[in-house]
Amino acid sequence: MIVDAVLNPLQQDTLTEFFNIAMGRAAATLSRMVSEEVSLSVPQMRFVRRSEAADLIGATEDRVCSVMQTLRGHFAADAMLIFPETRSLEIVRVMIGDTLPLEDITEMEQEAMTEVGNIILNACIGTLSNLLDGDFTIGLPSFRVGSCSEILNGFRPALDELVLLLHINFSVERYAIQGYVVFLQDVAAFSSFVESIDRFLERAMNGAGAGM
Amino acid sequence: MSDMAKTVLIVDDSALSRMLIRKLILESHPDWQILEAPDGEAALTMAHARSPDLITLDINMPGMGGLDAAVALKQQCPSAKLAVMTANIQDSVRQKVQALGIFFVALVEKPVTREGVDKILFGL
Repeated sequence: MIVDAVLNPLQQDTLTEFFNIAMGRAAATLSRMVSEEVSLSVPQMRFVRRSEAADLIGATEDRVCSVMQTLRGHFAADAMLIFPETRSLEIVRVMIGDTLPLEDITEMEQEAMTEVGNIILNACIGTLSNLLDGDFTIGLPSFRVGSCSEILNGFRPALDELVLLLHINFSVERYAIQGYVVFLQDVAAFSSFVESIDRFLERAMNGAGAGM
Repeated sequence: MSDMAKTVLIVDDSALSRMLIRKLILESHPDWQILEAPDGEAALTMAHARSPDLITLDINMPGMGGLDAAVALKQQCPSAKLAVMTANIQDSVRQKVQALGIFFVALVEKPVTREGVDKILFGL
């Protein structure tokens, strides 16, 4: 497997666990926003061609909406929150409550979804950044609607590079809301990222009892 | 804390977290026995054979989740003290953990730290 050639098992486990912790924080934020428990899957990690990513995250919906933020700096990645398009309005309604009439909610659907994505992705990215002691700039959130492969390809069909795919599924049972948080990371700029995982492991294992 | 050497079972699907919890416990208690299980099923088998004094559990794991495992482990080893160490820090999860009423330390938040592990070891 390609993943074994790039990351050893401990590095893979570290990265998956970081993502798990980061999503735990993000889910706590989302849970407060909807006043319901958010169920999380076990995070998955693999190296794939960008074009294969959509099949692997298990999205079965025809059209999805997404909020994407691009990370640059210590490592480069696209962080995305993806929901089925049909549930987007429901998500906004649940977040805002019954304080606004439906037509007003519809009008601000895109803006509200972008803000929801911004809050959740930042909870996740901020935790990852702290754990990796990384220095990132985070781009502004952008809202897109399309097929899952269009979203994950970043509407750039010409590029089909190898990426690290990290994804986790979440759901809010009461409102039948399901979604995905996906990180797609360019393998080209991978070495500094692997170095920061190793630095973390060295600190954790040799430091004066300071865990992660 | 009693001076007697204890047996601890760490239940977590992350090898990293198991390794760090093990390291932090052994730093303060080098003579303790540490067992590790990557999921609930393995934890039950191990607990049956070794009767641990303390069991730390993650919640989100493949197969049997940590809360179901905790209930089964408590039935199997009623004298074992149970603690949850998880990244799933939602209020509703905390409430579920508290409602079960079987945990010695309700919920310690990941990432694994010296303070978090001490919270579990204190008063054991």
